Parts: sequence; structure tokens; C-alpha cells
Amino acid sequence: MSVSTGQLAPSFTRPPSRVAVRRAENYQADLPSLLFETLREFDLPVRGKTVLLKPNFVGPDPLGVINTHPAVVGAAKESLLRLGAKEVMVGDGPALERDTEAILETMRLRDHIGPLASSFVDLNLEDVRRVPLRTRASRLKELYLPEAVLRADLVVSLPKLKTHHWAGVTLSLKNMFGIVPGGCYGWPKNILHWSGITRSVLDINSTVRPDFAIVDGIMGMEGNGPIQGVPRPCGVLVLGNDPVAVDATCARIMGLVPERIEHLAQASYLLGHLRDEKIQQIGESIASVRTPFKVLPAFRRLRAAGEGRPWHSNCLA
Amino acid sequence: MLDAIMTAPLRDGEARPGRNGEASFREQICWPFLLAAQNPDGGWGYRPNQRSAVEPTSWTLLELASLSDLSPFEQAASRGIAWLLAAQLPDGSWPAYPNQREGCWTTALAGLALHMHGLAPGAVAKGFDWLCNVWPGEGSLWRRLQRRLFVSSSMVRQNHSLQGWSWTPGTSSWVEPTAYALILLHRLYPGALPRRVEKRRRLAEAMLYDRMCPGGGWNSGNPFVYGVAGEPLVGPTVWALLALQDHCERAENQESLDWLARTYEPTRGPASLVLAHMCLEAYGRRIEGLEPALRRLYAANGFLQSVSVTAWAAMALGPGCRWLRWRTTGASQS
Repeated sequence: MSVSTGQLAPSFTRPPSRVAVRRAENYQADLPSLLFETLREFDLPVRGKTVLLKPNFVGPDPLGVINTHPAVVGAAKESLLRLGAKEVMVGDGPALERDTEAILETMRLRDHIGPLASSFVDLNLEDVRRVPLRTRASRLKELYLPEAVLRADLVVSLPKLKTHHWAGVTLSLKNMFGIVPGGCYGWPKNILHWSGITRSVLDINSTVRPDFAIVDGIMGMEGNGPIQGVPRPCGVLVLGNDPVAVDATCARIMGLVPERIEHLAQASYLLGHLRDEKIQQIGESIASVRTPFKVLPAFRRLRAAGEGRPWHSNCLA
Repeated sequence: MLDAIMTAPLRDGEARPGRNGEASFREQICWPFLLAAQNPDGGWGYRPNQRSAVEPTSWTLLELASLSDLSPFEQAASRGIAWLLAAQLPDGSWPAYPNQREGCWTTALAGLALHMHGLAPGAVAKGFDWLCNVWPGEGSLWRRLQRRLFVSSSMVRQNHSLQGWSWTPGTSSWVEPTAYALILLHRLYPGALPRRVEKRRRLAEAMLYDRMCPGGGWNSGNPFVYGVAGEPLVGPTVWALLALQDHCERAENQESLDWLARTYEPTRGPASLVLAHMCLEAYGRRIEGLEPALRRLYAANGFLQSVSVTAWAAMALGPGCRWLRWRTTGASQS
């Protein structure tokens, strides 16, 4: 199961992480080949395994600017099956829209992953199990989490490259909010806000750390994300087996300083690498794909050219 | 199974809507699905073969409350009611799943389901008492102080002194749990309200109007974030409108109904479609063509095997959901 057992480790004990940045100008590109070739470079242990792809599905999105694009989800599924995965399920628990089928139908997801009844799980409404949290960043101590997540051999976080009006950015770590079931905690999962977004992100990811991350940055969102921002073409896919390193790389591509993004800075203590000297870059260089994203005034401090100071308050108990 | 259902008597002049001897969608799909999805313990999960949960059990019991008193519905209902009563916590609340230790938003739904079956008034009263005693967290002194000192006024624009109900105890008021509690309140107290209940009703209704999106409709409960108007969603709009039906003539209600009616046609999800249909009908706006639309959506994904959606679909196709309508006057009360 994917409840983490050994991945919490200080940065200095971890080997360097690898992150791949691939160009893809649009969703008509040959994404299955691109992802398959890139995933092969990571030697992911997927053969015979059950994989859960966790995209970011927020609401009906006919223009493809809010949710992880279904072409990326479909390509990821196809690639993992080609690599020998026994089963690849797609699952998410949208935070605001209860009519998950309306979201999926507006995106035409079934055209990309097959019949929804057999290939998609609504994580808001799955059977749940009580899981003690592995860190005490928030006051939560425990969460009820979906069996579909806990049963999976590998969890792949599949977010979209977006700014976020509460968290600064929403990438592979923040995307894991979607595994918390609305059936228990509501729409939105307000208990996570009350426990502190940063702290909840840390507790969730320390307990169910994604084994791999694939960020859909072909079309991102800047400004007042994650829903009401402005589409921002970026033309990249970012992949890696360290979600902190993947998110840090994405932040750098967006023209933000990852050390100033509170949940990334905190996550780097136990969950992965933030510093660029600890991240081996594969594919495109960050400089070659850098696409500065506009941020809300409240997050100006995150910008690389700004005068903001990094977050340092340690909330991990 | 279908034969048993087709021969079961219906109540209150209910007509079988199937034409040319064909079974209606409700009889052919919804009822057999719901009956087959019932777990051996008497409850229903969100999907067949999932653990019983309070929400889908409550919705299914509300559909069964509108059906015949005879088998097979009566047997299913009595087993479901027994399960629901067993799931009630000692403090009167209901959790989302019976193994959980804390009650939540499902308390209003469970109370409503039992009340509409005319059963277990003590359990319903205890549940409602819990609802009346539990306040959302935004009213606490600490929270008010935090807002005053740290929260930028441009982040969200809403009146935090107006409190409804939260999804889980101690968190903020949101539209849907507030609406569910208000609907139960109206069903329990068709006449004058006790003072403390009246206070909660007044605050909760004002909170719902405060959270309405500009131009009509509701989202989960943030009409403005950083000065940008929120987009309404069908579900919260439906529940808010149903909870506020005593004020049906108010401009906000009519504006929101207009939004809902405009949204109805392009709706791609069965849940949104049936909920919007129920709400528009409750407000006297007749919409044709629900059954063919549902058949099309069912053919696409089988409603993703959702028990709740199937129960809502059955209710929307039925002759009228008693539990959704209590409005006796068209006069608005401010």
C-alpha cells in the first residue's frame, strides 16, 4: 500500500533527485511516446503493480485550463501499462464540485482512459480507513483516507501547473489534498484549511507520499488560480520521483523562488530536495523553458526578482 | 425483481409514467438498482459493494419514503432505518460512516430520512438538538481576532457574523450543510419555531443570502475571492434555493432560479440534472424531457454506479418529493 513507511528522511541523507523537463507545445503532441520514453529513464518499479494516477480535477473545464488535461492523463495511463503495470486507475476527489461525472464528461475523459465505470474512482466517495498521520505539522493527527489510495502499489501525482490563491502554487504536493474524501470532510475539505494549508500538505504527503509526479505544464494558469486565473501557455511536462524536487523545478520555471513557497520549504526538511544542486536535470534546462507566471499581490514575495524573504518557521513536530 | 416492483401498489395517486406498456426509467433502472445495492447490514454504500454510509442510506430512504408501504420497498426501508438508527452516536449526531467517532453534516440528512418515514422521533429530536448546539468555528473569539489582525479584507468578501452550519464541527459555515440543516428545521417545525431554533434559522438564511454569487446562484460558499466573483455551481444552488423557498418571491431567489434554468440544458452530469430538475419543479417551473436525458446519461457511464445519484433520479422522476416542499405561501418574509 502507499502509506509511506520509510521515505521521511532529512535532505542530507537523500541521494540527489532526478527531474525531467520535456517540451510539448500542445495537447495534440505525441504525449504517449514522450511520457513512455521519459518514464523509462526513471526505471519505475511498475511491473505487475497497481498504480493510481491522481490528477487535479477541480470543476467543469471545457477549455482545458483548470484541470489536468485528459490527454496527459490518458498518455500517463498508456505509458504505465506499456511499462508493465498490472492496473492503472485514475482517481480524484474534487474539492468543490460534487458532480464528479459532470467534470469528467465536460473534459471527455473517457475518450482518453476508457470507460469511466471501470477506470475512474471518485476518491470523495470511496470506502475509507482511519490512518494515523506520520507527522504532526497540523493538529489533525489522523485522517480517513480512501482504500483505493491505500491499496495502490504506486501513487502518481498528476497536477496542472498553476498558481494558487491560498498556497502560492498548486503542484504535485498540494494536489494530494484531493485524496482526502469529501464524503467525510465535505466540499471543500475545510478541515484542511482550518488545520493550515501548509501544515496539512505536509501531513498528507508525509503519510501518502506520491511515488512519482508528472506535472501538466503544457497550459498552466497564472494569477488568481486555481480556478479563476488566466491561462498561461508554458509548453512543458515536468516529471520525477521526488515530488518536492519536481515542484521546486516547476516553481523555478514559473519564475518563483521555491524556498519562499512555505509548503515547499517545509517539505524539503523530510520529503525531498529543494536545492537545485541536489536535483539532476534531464531534458530541457530550466532557463530554456522559463515562463514567468503572474502572481497575486499577496504572493509577490515568491517572485525571483522580488525582495521577499524565505519562510523558515519550522512547524514539524 | 422488476416484476415485484411493477406490481407493487403506489401511493397518493402515483402514476406509472411508462408509455406503451414500457417500464419507466425509475422502475426499470432506479428501483432495481437501489434494492440490489442494499448491503446485508441494511445500509447503502456510495456504490454497490461498498461499506454502508449515512449519506447514500439517507437519500435512498428518502426515495423509499415516497413509495408503497408494501414489499419489497417496505422491507428495504425498515432494514435501512434500523441501520441508520444503529449508526447514531450517543450525542445524537450521525457520522459519515458508522465506525467514526464524531458527527458531521450527515446528521441533517439522517434526521430528514427518519422524519419523512414518520419514525423514531426521539432519535430525530436528539439529532436536531445536536445540530442546534453545534456552531461553526468562525464565530469563536480567537477566530474573530485572527481575522481582524491577519486576514486581508480583499481575500474574501463575506459577513462572518452570519453563521450557518459547517461540514465538520468547528470549521466554517458552508452553503450545503447549512441548507440541509434548514430543510430539516422546516420539516420539523412547520409552524412557529422555538426561540433558539428561530435564531439559528434567521442567521442561517441571512448567511445563505450573504454567500450568493453576484448574478445569482451559489457555489460552496465563497462568492468573492480577491475581488473576483465566484462561479455558481448547480448543487449548492439547488440546496440553497430549496432551503430558502419560504422567500420564493425575493429577487435573489428568482435570479438564482433563472441561472439554474439557463444551466439546466447544457448540464453534462446526471447529479446536476436531477437536482436542478427537482428544484425547478419545487418552485413550480415545469421542465420536460428529464427521462430521455437521464437515459442518455445513464447509457454513457451508468451514473458511475452512484447510489445517491440513482436515488435523486428516482425522486426527480417521481410525482413529487414531499420532503422538498413545505412552502404554503408565496409571500416573502425578510
